[in-house]
Amino acid sequence: MRCKTNVNPNFIVLKRDMSKAYDRASDESNGVLKKLDRARKVSVNRIFLHFTGVIWKGDKLIDGVPETLDMLRSKGKRLVFVTNNSTKSRKQYGKKFETLGLDVSEEEIFASSFAAAAYLKSIDFPKDKKVYVVGEDGILKELELAGIQYLGGPVDGEKKIELKPGYMMEHDENVGAVVVGFDRYFNYYKIQYATLCIRENPGCLFIATNRDAVTHLTDAQEWAGGGSMVGAIGGSTQREPVVVGKPSTFMMDYLANKFSISKSQICMVGDRLDTDILFGQNGGCKTLLVLSGVTSLSMLQNPDNSIQPDFYTTKISDFLSLKAATPTRFIFVLFSYESITWQVAVKPSLSYIRTLRHRSRGPFSLIISPFLQITL
Amino acid sequence: MDGQISESTVKEKTKCQSLSHNNVRDLVDSVDAFLFDCDGVIWKGDSLIDGVPETLETLRSMGKKLVFVTNNSRKSRSQYAKKFRSLGISVTVDEIFSSSFAAAMYLKVNDFPKDKKVYVIGEEGILEELELAGFTGLGGPEDGKKTALLRPNSFFQHDKSVGAVVVGLDQYINFYKLQYGTLCIRENPGCLFIATNQDSVGHLTDLQEWPGAGCMVAAMCGSTQKEPIVVGKPSTFMMDFLLKRFNIPTSRMCMVGDRLDTDILFGLNAGCRTLLVLSGVTSISTLEDLSNHIQPEYYSSQVSDIPQLLSAATL
Repeated sequence: MRCKTNVNPNFIVLKRDMSKAYDRASDESNGVLKKLDRARKVSVNRIFLHFTGVIWKGDKLIDGVPETLDMLRSKGKRLVFVTNNSTKSRKQYGKKFETLGLDVSEEEIFASSFAAAAYLKSIDFPKDKKVYVVGEDGILKELELAGIQYLGGPVDGEKKIELKPGYMMEHDENVGAVVVGFDRYFNYYKIQYATLCIRENPGCLFIATNRDAVTHLTDAQEWAGGGSMVGAIGGSTQREPVVVGKPSTFMMDYLANKFSISKSQICMVGDRLDTDILFGQNGGCKTLLVLSGVTSLSMLQNPDNSIQPDFYTTKISDFLSLKAATPTRFIFVLFSYESITWQVAVKPSLSYIRTLRHRSRGPFSLIISPFLQITL
Repeated sequence: MDGQISESTVKEKTKCQSLSHNNVRDLVDSVDAFLFDCDGVIWKGDSLIDGVPETLETLRSMGKKLVFVTNNSRKSRSQYAKKFRSLGISVTVDEIFSSSFAAAMYLKVNDFPKDKKVYVIGEEGILEELELAGFTGLGGPEDGKKTALLRPNSFFQHDKSVGAVVVGLDQYINFYKLQYGTLCIRENPGCLFIATNQDSVGHLTDLQEWPGAGCMVAAMCGSTQKEPIVVGKPSTFMMDFLLKRFNIPTSRMCMVGDRLDTDILFGLNAGCRTLLVLSGVTSISTLEDLSNHIQPEYYSSQVSDIPQLLSAATL
């Protein structure tokens, strides 16, 4: 079921996946889920009128978020935004938030494009070596900021090859790493260039920003994600890449180092098992799955699923009634983008934030990924 | 030898013999049909490998059946026959088994409904074979010109009646096709994901190797998180057609190829004799590497060694 209205831009756009969350019968979850099912099915339109929370629709920010951030900032807290998206650099994301009325500094943003550059720096990638990029502008900008020479990127999307006698593609022997991410300008030229570098340049690294199968570039549907481009290069080189984005723990390690915290003091809240939850687990963090996004209870309980979060709940505000195993003192709580973009999540999650803050005895931080980390 | 892997263990593994004037007669006499891979065996790109025409003529004159089994899906069988003719070799269409043909046949033997369509991430060969088999193909090289717009309100449409996505080597691969194929497989109920083959690279030109179907197939696996049905080598699917065409037991067939994980494995899986030639993607070091577990019966530099060794044997 997909409901959309153009009358008031503040109205909610129901994503297809989220509506399924309500249609799912669940006999093992708490009664709140069931009640909500009935409530949802009956009064969908009323919900549209009551709640003014808006999902990130194109470039529209969620209602209530700016106020929340301002409030938390006024208490001296910091914000960090985490995403697997590699199409923009941190600076470009910063500008995006600026146009939405959010004041975010680059140091507070962690995109997988940044992760790639940070990884290369962390291994002391030689200055005389170059990076071939199968990906978009974000990666190029981050490499430039890190002082790393690069080739490729969107311009190579225009290049053509001719499979005819005597034709040979030359490649730069100084390429010491190939970085592959989501790439709308993907083509055979780039695949061959990257393949030649990896196969023929001794010690050439194969780095992937992420392996997400699909990505939500537009509200209305899924798009083939970075996992596709990375798969292609893996297929031609028969090599496995180093992955720097979720669920690899590189970004988590970087965050932990940067904020001088222990990873066990982080709780990752997300709606995706294979990125958010796995990310949290691999990083030694606690994890909370919300069923309000792309993962259903049946998917979670499917025998084929091996990723088990520490907690699960319908949506963030249900956390209060959830029978958690042990109350844990979190310093960081990461929320995935989808866990707070569901229309009823915004208000309850503010009260939840207050509740958590009351409960915690020490320093307390809230991370709402991919856009918010609030350090209380 | 202390501290090294014992040589006897290594020798046991390497059962592969170099083709020589001592063993070539035995091989040829015990085989009624020679199955040849094309890229790296017959030609490299559009350049014929030395001595191929003479080799094929010699074998034909000895009464041997010749079959060409190629994983390259860029051309249809009749387009391959044309290529052979342009290189001065006469081959009939029914002596050729390309993975493009295999894909169409897979749909045929599995009663793919005629009201369903097939989305092709690949080149002309696949589209032509689908048409010959009576199926409706979408995509192919034409979609190489299309772009996927990503404005906030744009919606990528795909045909809901697509019942199968066939993926092969595609030099016109782009994001549009990846997205189209992904949506079909993920959203059209029961949509098949068929791969013509999974060769990682191949000699598409004489001077260097180029990414093969394995690349495009892996791209689709990455976005759909599904495994494809593979119709080309080393799958023995095509062997059924060969057996129908030529009433010869597989033990009296010899697969001649340049790739261990497709050609030789195909031959071994089907119970054929196997001959690896080093004129393509495999070097002697790859064959002898300890990590290689695929052992052909024989190996030689190139196919023209067969007639050369035969004449040396008679001397």
